[in-house]
Amino acid sequence: MTVRHDEKGPRAQQPGGVRVSPMLSRLSRSPRRQAVGYGVAILGTVALTAALLPIRSDVTPLSKGFGFLAVVVVAAAVGGLWPGIAASFFGFLMFNFFFLPPYNTFIIGRGEYVVVLFVFLGLSILISALLARATERAEAAEAREEELRTLQSLSAELVAAVPGPESYTSALGLLMELFGFSAGALFVQDPVSRDLQEQATVGAPPGELSPRWDPASQASAAERLPLSVGGRILGLFVLRSERPGLSPPESRVLRAFCDQFALVLERDRLLHKATEAEVYRQTDQLRRSLLAAVSHDLRTPLASIKASVTDLLGEDADHGAEYARESLRAINQETDRLAALVANLLDMSRIEGGMLRARIQSTDMAEILTMSIDRAQRQWPTLAFRLRANGDGAVVRADPVFLDRVVTNLLDNAAKAAADSGAERVEVEVRRSADRAEVRVIDHGGGLPQPVREQLFYPFYQVTERHPRLGSGLGLPIAKGFLSLMGGDIWIEDTPGGGATLAFSLPRAATAPEDP
Amino acid sequence: VKQGRVLVVDDEEQIRRAVGRALEARDFAVETASDGEEAVALAETFDPDLVVLDLNLPRLDGLSVTRLLRARSAVPILVLSVREEEADKVAALDLGADDYLTKPFGIDELMARVRALLRRAGGQGAPPAARFSADDLDIDLDSHRVVRAGQQVRLTRTEWGLLEALSRHPGKLLTHRWLLETVWGPGYADDVDVLRVFVSQLRRKIEPDAGRPRVIVTDPGIGYRWLLHPVEDPSSEDRSGVSTS
Repeated sequence: MTVRHDEKGPRAQQPGGVRVSPMLSRLSRSPRRQAVGYGVAILGTVALTAALLPIRSDVTPLSKGFGFLAVVVVAAAVGGLWPGIAASFFGFLMFNFFFLPPYNTFIIGRGEYVVVLFVFLGLSILISALLARATERAEAAEAREEELRTLQSLSAELVAAVPGPESYTSALGLLMELFGFSAGALFVQDPVSRDLQEQATVGAPPGELSPRWDPASQASAAERLPLSVGGRILGLFVLRSERPGLSPPESRVLRAFCDQFALVLERDRLLHKATEAEVYRQTDQLRRSLLAAVSHDLRTPLASIKASVTDLLGEDADHGAEYARESLRAINQETDRLAALVANLLDMSRIEGGMLRARIQSTDMAEILTMSIDRAQRQWPTLAFRLRANGDGAVVRADPVFLDRVVTNLLDNAAKAAADSGAERVEVEVRRSADRAEVRVIDHGGGLPQPVREQLFYPFYQVTERHPRLGSGLGLPIAKGFLSLMGGDIWIEDTPGGGATLAFSLPRAATAPEDP
Repeated sequence: VKQGRVLVVDDEEQIRRAVGRALEARDFAVETASDGEEAVALAETFDPDLVVLDLNLPRLDGLSVTRLLRARSAVPILVLSVREEEADKVAALDLGADDYLTKPFGIDELMARVRALLRRAGGQGAPPAARFSADDLDIDLDSHRVVRAGQQVRLTRTEWGLLEALSRHPGKLLTHRWLLETVWGPGYADDVDVLRVFVSQLRRKIEPDAGRPRVIVTDPGIGYRWLLHPVEDPSSEDRSGVSTS
């Protein structure tokens, strides 16, 4: 019973996939059925007459009358009231002329035949009227059901789609398929400028359908359906078609759909606001904890410097030369710590701000490693740093300054892990593969559980409300940042026997003379 | 001869070392702890005369340490804090910490607080001081008399209560909450405005210059401190009887 309205290519594959006949086709069925009804009335009566004619003397007039009554019922059922009445009168005449003696005249021979004839006519008309009314009602019910089905499939499409403008196009496409529009556009009001902006267009190039009514334009025949909630206009559908105007039931469905769509627009608008507020809240929170962490990390070295300096300046105690030297050493160390922190913060902000460009050149990995290890050894005199290079030192494509910062941060990280757990050694290992050099900084500290590994590369991950710690929280993100600028990778492995291994790799220099 | 035993609790090694060295250079016996649990354990074995306590500690935070120490003894607690920890600092003082210092601080400030706290703690066994005098002001708590420039000053009941609450703890930082609960009762703990009004009334009656108070000193946002030295003991009171009568 589904009669598909002929449709334009792209909409045949609408994501909704709902198959509903266009409401248009249902409305055009009525006149056609009426014509069929008249056909049944005339041809049926003629055929019945022709069939009964040879045996008209063997059959009682009552039986023949029932035969004509059957034709009336069929004509009324198919075509409604008027074909039924036509069949009644035509049958009345044929019955009288051919089948009531004397035959082939309209004269009625016996009084009882007059009764039979007029009872036939009255019954026929009555049956036609009742049948037509019943059919009309059934059709109206079916049409209403169709309306509801259409509306249901439209709202299902709206509800099922992910909130947001992406769903508008498919809803618009389905709407056009169901109502037989050839082109349509959705305009949504911008909350700030209050201008209508084209959000979705189907069946026409964007910009062709105008939200404003223009009598001169070729699209002047388009339907304009405002979308509003609580008296506020949120948007506008502009729909164009070559089809005749909308019937009242179609208008009703379209109107209901527009109301639903307006609610969807309102929902998306509120959702957008809520998302914005959430993003703002999170940014704000990060900023707060970051501020707390920065101030903590800057203040701790400052506090110990201040304490040491005021101690030395104080005249209430007798400080020997050795004491003063030791204090100065502590002050010096803290100053280094402050400087390193400031350097890290600066690096991080430059990496995050995308302001850094690597100056890639052939760089001797072993040279950088040796320098960094010497420096770390001076800073952590109680730890033993050892470099294990496999064969000749690898030459890599890297920015030597960045590489130095990477290695320094990894050594610092490993040294802290070792110091925290009482381990004595930190090892650095270099391996070469076909096209890359891999460096492993191996500590025998507490190790890093799998779940935190990824997070370690995000800046400020160690920052928490209760314990703002920044210094060590920046080393790995900075290393990752520098490495990604040089085409390098960084990852975390377990050290056999306990501890963490931080590994990174860089592309080897292709034209390195040492290459075999 | 050692000046006293001090327990320094801070999770930052550099701070522990700098403060510890400075205290040792001034003849204090020093032990250090890097987290709250260690601090509580050391308080038991080392039996310090004073605890310098950072609030931001791993394992057991400074507030819990304060609560645990207070449950066992009256050892003076000097809280070290940073600016964002205002609320924690007040909470620690409410819990019974005696004073605080904000990082970064000078060793001179630290020593001044440490000495003041030890001095006050030393006099704890003795009956609380009842007489104060300075310039033209003479206060005798026992006989309910305040004399200023030879004239008796009349105080209301609440003003007396406030005066007593403050002067019974000379030098100690008394929080708003403590003062309100002590003078007005537990239901008034948050009525800081009431407290401020009465403090300024009291100041007008006893301070030489109420605009620049020297007897009842404000610690903004935290509380008040009574800075008038008590007249030491009955014997010295007798000896200085001429000047105070």
